[in-house]
Amino acid sequence: MINISMLQSELQNFVSGASDVQGAALVSPDGLALASVLPGPMDEERTAAMSASMLSLGERIGRELSRGSVERIVVEGEKGYGVLVSCGSDAVLLVLASSGAKQGILFLEIKRIVGKLTPLVG
Amino acid sequence: MKILRVVVTGGVGAGKTTFIRTISDTDVIDTDKRATDETANLKPQTTVAMDFGTLLLPGKDSLHLYGTPGQARFEFMRDILIKKAQACVVLANATREVDLLYARSVIELIEGQLQIPYLVGLTHTDLLSGGLLDVSAALGEAPITNVNVTDKTSVKMALTKLLEQL
Repeated sequence: MINISMLQSELQNFVSGASDVQGAALVSPDGLALASVLPGPMDEERTAAMSASMLSLGERIGRELSRGSVERIVVEGEKGYGVLVSCGSDAVLLVLASSGAKQGILFLEIKRIVGKLTPLVG
Repeated sequence: MKILRVVVTGGVGAGKTTFIRTISDTDVIDTDKRATDETANLKPQTTVAMDFGTLLLPGKDSLHLYGTPGQARFEFMRDILIKKAQACVVLANATREVDLLYARSVIELIEGQLQIPYLVGLTHTDLLSGGLLDVSAALGEAPITNVNVTDKTSVKMALTKLLEQL
């Protein structure tokens, strides 16, 4: 049984605790939201679907171009980062961070939250 | 040498991925993931980004086939892919009313904005027990053909019919 309220509160703590993190969503590999803390206007359903598409395409491209297993997909925009990582085999995590975020710290924070979330969805 | 981009779209479980697998000359690039929504009642795996296959045509031209996901939440993928398409196959499971309605919405998009040749491929017609759903009521004058997505000849015939319009 997946404890949704625990997932949600872990995500909430992560978003409010980690510096420069603006939002996060945990979604199933087929693009359904499991839990999310997203900035106001962002549509959860669409964001979840996009996260799943992006990670699966990225993983596929990684395989096609012999890059080995994919650690993360990073979208770096003028206004910040969108980072996608797998969270075990049953979930995908999207993290949104501001452009001021330090990449090393961001990736470390993400690694930590993945460590917390994975057993909850496993 | 020309490359023609054809998008294969349609509702969940209509047979888009199978259509491309059946006809592609190259290994199909898929993005299948385990289905966890109502799709799981139809099939274990579902496309979450796109499928990609190729087909050499007589002469030196080739087709690039792009398959879209079927669920409404992935509509952005369809929009990305269809924008660059030169022709479109809209598959519809003939036993499911929702598929016909979905096909109609795609046809409206194609006729309204894109104006590219398209063909509606009716699938699962062998499963129709109570007679065909009222296809013409749902799809009007649209070019329609029956297609068995697991049969190479049938898929080839559908594509030929589509390409005749180019």
